[in-house]
Amino acid sequence: MTLETMGFGVVATVLLASSLAVVLTPNLFHAVLYLAAALVATGVVFLLLEQPFLFAVQLLLYAGGVVTIVVFAIMLTERLVGERIAQTSRHVVNGAIVAAAVFVGIVGFLIGAPPGAPRPAETVDTTAAIGRALVGPFAVTLELLGVLLVVALLGALYFARSEE
Amino acid sequence: MIGLPAYLVLGALVFSIGLFGVLTRRNAVGILLGIELMLNAVNINLVAFARFNGDVAGLVFTLFTISITVAEVAVGLAIVIAIFRVRRTVEADRLDLLRG
Amino acid sequence: MAPSVWLPLLVLGLPFVAFVLLAVVAPLRRVGPRAGLVSIGAIALAFGAALTVWTEGFVSETTWAWIPADGGPIATVGLLVDPLSNAMLVLVTLVSLLVQIYSLAYLGDERPASLGRYYTYQSLFAFSMLGLVLAPGFLQMFVFWELVGLCSYLLIGYWYERPAAARAAVKAFWITKLGDVGFLIGIVLLWSATGTFEFTDLFEKAQEHALAIAGLPTIMFLIYLGAVGKSAQFPLHVWLPDAMEGPTPVSALIHAATMVTAGVFMVTRTEPLFALVPEVLTLIAWVGAFTALLAATMACVEADIKRVLAYSTISQLGYMMAAAGAGAAYAAAFPHLLTHGLFKALLFLAAGAVIHAVGTNDIFRMGGLFRAMPQTGVVFIVGTLALAGVPPLAGFYSKEAVLGGVWEAHLTGPFLMLALTALLTAFYMFRVVFITFFGRAHAAAHPHEAPWLMRGPLWLLAALTVLVGVRLALGGAEGHEETPAWLAPLSVGLALVGFALAWAMYQRRLIDPARIAGALAPIDYLARRRYGLDALYAGLYRGFILGFSRLVGWIDRYLVDGVLNVLTALTLRGGDALRRIQSGRAQDYVYGVAFGLLLLIVGAQLWR
Repeated sequence: MTLETMGFGVVATVLLASSLAVVLTPNLFHAVLYLAAALVATGVVFLLLEQPFLFAVQLLLYAGGVVTIVVFAIMLTERLVGERIAQTSRHVVNGAIVAAAVFVGIVGFLIGAPPGAPRPAETVDTTAAIGRALVGPFAVTLELLGVLLVVALLGALYFARSEE
Repeated sequence: MIGLPAYLVLGALVFSIGLFGVLTRRNAVGILLGIELMLNAVNINLVAFARFNGDVAGLVFTLFTISITVAEVAVGLAIVIAIFRVRRTVEADRLDLLRG
Repeated sequence: MAPSVWLPLLVLGLPFVAFVLLAVVAPLRRVGPRAGLVSIGAIALAFGAALTVWTEGFVSETTWAWIPADGGPIATVGLLVDPLSNAMLVLVTLVSLLVQIYSLAYLGDERPASLGRYYTYQSLFAFSMLGLVLAPGFLQMFVFWELVGLCSYLLIGYWYERPAAARAAVKAFWITKLGDVGFLIGIVLLWSATGTFEFTDLFEKAQEHALAIAGLPTIMFLIYLGAVGKSAQFPLHVWLPDAMEGPTPVSALIHAATMVTAGVFMVTRTEPLFALVPEVLTLIAWVGAFTALLAATMACVEADIKRVLAYSTISQLGYMMAAAGAGAAYAAAFPHLLTHGLFKALLFLAAGAVIHAVGTNDIFRMGGLFRAMPQTGVVFIVGTLALAGVPPLAGFYSKEAVLGGVWEAHLTGPFLMLALTALLTAFYMFRVVFITFFGRAHAAAHPHEAPWLMRGPLWLLAALTVLVGVRLALGGAEGHEETPAWLAPLSVGLALVGFALAWAMYQRRLIDPARIAGALAPIDYLARRRYGLDALYAGLYRGFILGFSRLVGWIDRYLVDGVLNVLTALTLRGGDALRRIQSGRAQDYVYGVAFGLLLLIVGAQLWR
């Protein structure tokens, strides 16, 4: 067992455990914290795939931004309702069956798939490649994304504004 | 060496867990968390494919997904708060105005 | 445009203008008598134009393309002006004019709006009849043929509040339609065989012996069926007596002088075509003669004065058809049509004056009317003499021509029937005359002479009947050369026998009518019941059409509606059941998405 394999096993275990905790824990606040853990674990997976830039983005935007917003929202609603919000689940068995079926379906593809080529060695600086792609073939998409973020910001402000 | 299938199975597992969360959570914020998990699973897939095929497009897509997810979470939570103001609840079960 | 074209067009157009004016301008129609003046003015001008056309002897044919197609129009409309249509134009406009004037007084008690409606129909009828007369082809003729049928329906049902009138109108319409179906099929078959509707084209082909179509007898028989319905030939004659429910002037115009003769006119017009099928001609002659005799026997037992005249009309139409069937359409049938149009209109209008005076149609409730209304009596007797065929009145010559034509064609059976009919004609007409004008007066009634608006047309028609007869007597020598010498004495003798019988039975009471009836009991029984034909038609109508309608109604109610009800119920139930799928909860919809994803996955793996 190489170091890499061991690292992957640990990271995968952490990721799956925290993901399960996100969907199972009754405490909403705890669920958000587990989500943060899962997101960080995902970032580590990126790191295992030799993508330090994406790891950084994942930490900054996701684990930093998203989790913060969600915590804000939870605290806001809890303050409004005046009590701790308990998380309950519905149709747990049904949901588990469907989710498992989807998983089996996806794995079915992997079983039938031809064995992939081994991982090629990293030759170029991927961060620089991403930067070139963003201002090259994906420039228009990038601009559109900027527009989308502005619209989302305004929309969020509009929805969340107080009535008075 | 860890092969591509390992990453893909990991992504599928996380995706299924996220789907399970979306299907079973009563709280709207909980549902949003499930969606986050699903999107993360997709990101793992994208990056893994990009890395094993040596294609930078997958990485760029991941970047876009992350950004869009942020926007989605912001708008989604704003909607949750707006609903909460009106209905005094964020239980998805009780938001059934569209019932036929 | 030459006068030989625009004058006939004027004749045709004036009544149409009057009709459109009265039909569209409602206030004008509602004023009643003045609306009548519009119609009368138009028809008077048309009469003047028609008279010019006739005296000038115009001949022309003008056609306009109607249904354009590759390689020339399929059909044309236009005017066919020749001696035949010229004479008919004069007859139609003259009788229309007199009837419309007469109606001003006869229908003077009507509500103004109703009277306006009446004159609207009258104008439409005049237009339609003139269009029929001028038609240069079968298609135009058929269109106007149906239009006059429509006018007949409208005018019979003029008093549509009366159930009997409404029923009679529907009956007339349906029964003539029976014949019209054959007419239409015949026209279309002829067209598909020859590719033309035009008379002149068809006649040319007939002369060049280029009309050797298989089934031409069938086609001509079908066309003849139209004439059977329109001209009230056996067995489709039953509508005409019932049509007497309409106002009397209408009966005079449509059901005596003009529309019912359209069948005879059509056969005359297409004589070159009928000449190609001798077997159909023989059939026409036999049916015509039989119709004449049958109707005459029914007229002998009828008590309603208008119905007597109606049966007499049927009988005379049978005469004309028999002559046409004998191949003497131009020589006998058409002249008889013209003279009959004059004196039958006269008789009807005179009968109308009588009815107007006594308020009943039943001749046995009249009597001694000659003293009260001598003028009407005189003109009625003139008409009767003309109808009975007494020289030198108009009817004598045309009737003799008919008999001569049938004799010449060696149709002995029809000839004997027609001769017997001549006797019966004189008998039943003088029966009416004696009972109505000379019998014992009924004390209750105080009849009076009709107003001059009604008497004027009567006298004019009576004078014309005499004048035409005199003119025929003076100039008719060369036209009757071929008739055997014994024919004229025979027909006069038959008329005299009929007269004497009626005189003896109803005036002198030398013979008791009841004993004659007893002696001829079976015929009397059948004639009084109209030979069961009306009952037969009614039974057929009830049994077949109403039964069929009931069947269709049942199918509609229980099968068609049932299927629809089941479908709607299923849709409702299904919708109600499917509604529950829409829980309104977003997560339930995620299940749908998940299942769709599963389906895609499974599908993709199965058909990879």
